Amino acid sequence: MNIENLTQLTQFQIDELSHIIVNKEICKTCDHRACVQACPANCYTFNEETKLLSVVYETCLECGTCHVICEKGALDWSYPRGGYGVCYRLT
Amino acid sequence: MAKYFDVIIVGAGPAGSLAALKLAHAGLNVCMLERGKYPGAKNIFGGLLHNTPVLNEMLPDFWERAPLERHVYTKVLAFMTPQSTVSLTFENETFDNPPFNGYTILRPVFDRWLAGEAVKAGALLLCDCTAEDLIRKDGRIVGVTVKGREGEIRGNIIIAADGVLSFIAKKAGLRQDFKSSDMGVGIKLLLGLNEATINERFHLVRDQGADISFVGTTGDMRGGGFLYTNRESVSVGLVVHLDSLKVAGKASYEVLNEFLWHPQVRKLVKGAVPLEYSAHLIPEGGIDAMPQVYTDGMMVAGDAAGLCYTNGINLEGINLAMTSGVMAAETAIKAIQAGDFSSRMLSLYKKKLDDSFIMKDMKTYKNAVGMMHLERLYQTYPRVLASILEKMYRVEGVPRSKLLRLARKEALKEVGLKDIITDGIKIGRALL
Repeated sequence: MNIENLTQLTQFQIDELSHIIVNKEICKTCDHRACVQACPANCYTFNEETKLLSVVYETCLECGTCHVICEKGALDWSYPRGGYGVCYRLT
Repeated sequence: MAKYFDVIIVGAGPAGSLAALKLAHAGLNVCMLERGKYPGAKNIFGGLLHNTPVLNEMLPDFWERAPLERHVYTKVLAFMTPQSTVSLTFENETFDNPPFNGYTILRPVFDRWLAGEAVKAGALLLCDCTAEDLIRKDGRIVGVTVKGREGEIRGNIIIAADGVLSFIAKKAGLRQDFKSSDMGVGIKLLLGLNEATINERFHLVRDQGADISFVGTTGDMRGGGFLYTNRESVSVGLVVHLDSLKVAGKASYEVLNEFLWHPQVRKLVKGAVPLEYSAHLIPEGGIDAMPQVYTDGMMVAGDAAGLCYTNGINLEGINLAMTSGVMAAETAIKAIQAGDFSSRMLSLYKKKLDDSFIMKDMKTYKNAVGMMHLERLYQTYPRVLASILEKMYRVEGVPRSKLLRLARKEALKEVGLKDIITDGIKIGRALL
């Protein structure tokens, strides 16, 4: 099993607005990038060349792991607008 | 959307819905704000609804009407190494008769049903409503602003039942920042498996269910695995401490994958079809990580209040959530009768929590939080246990040692005597 298949099992109502905004300046000062490994939905990618963190908010499971793990507060993270985001059916 | 309510509840999960039910029964004008398309759309847990007296009192026939999966008959605690499993199984006939000790449930289904009970009793449910900020007047919280269905909503009392990441409690100034050392993340895979196969594989009949906790399945991370049987599916997953996930350098879903490939787990889930993948935080900081639970015009209940504890054997949250929701509702009823929404009045809620099993259990297992942070609990000790049993059982024409001598020898191969003693004291203080 790999993660692409895993999040495909889950339903999302995708908003056009992202509920996660990376503050690039704060993010640059981070020495662990734990968000990349910790996110259960693999939403974060760090580009070694550009030194930028990118986020795919569309498959976010809204667990908040990244928000808590980023002790510098580089992730402006909020719950999506009502009705949007992950929509569990069975679990 | 602008109306005045006696009580506004943020979050239609177990704490919020039971609070709403209690308030609606008292004839109060109550509104639940739910950010999902329906209650439960954002909610997951491992899988066990514990026996909860307030639920039985308020909905005496709930166990006949609620969408429950199986009642738990078999409890297993399994210590794993990559090669072996040492498990303690407890089966008890009294767990096979009502009132049942617990049921496996699926939250999007159960939470929706429970909120529906509150609506039937007269509560208003507004879905697609994410509470964004608090409205204050004269130093008191008097409402919330909403995004999704835009607008604001006002009332005499707010009950924040908005879950583990309670931004509402934080905005009210009742809590500090969320800390990774106080949180676990649960990741879960729901696997479809037919009823007959589940019964056969887990030695169950009729509606019997199994609850298996695994220790030693989270690699270098502090955490554990779980497996709950539903009627036609099994819920499997891991819970890992965020502070250890942070330094692990390994993705949690990769560890989940390894867990499912463990030879003794693989045969339990063989042929199962993945149905849904989910993740959620768990407040695991215990009593010391709790926020303040009331202020002028507001109370905090359930996960939002950090009401959850684990000691490695018990893992309780949903029952504390529902009970705290009812206690917040009872306090709200008194406050509305008195026309007093001050924090002094609402401190009655804290007193109710303190006098109940909720805060008593949180205090009893205060030291379990430290114990659960012992690194050796997760790989070293399961390995020692497995190697003792392996030596006990293995027959190879070599003279044997008695148990204590064998145990000492195997333990000292892995851990120094001083560490064993300090760990023993920590475990003792937590559990004994």
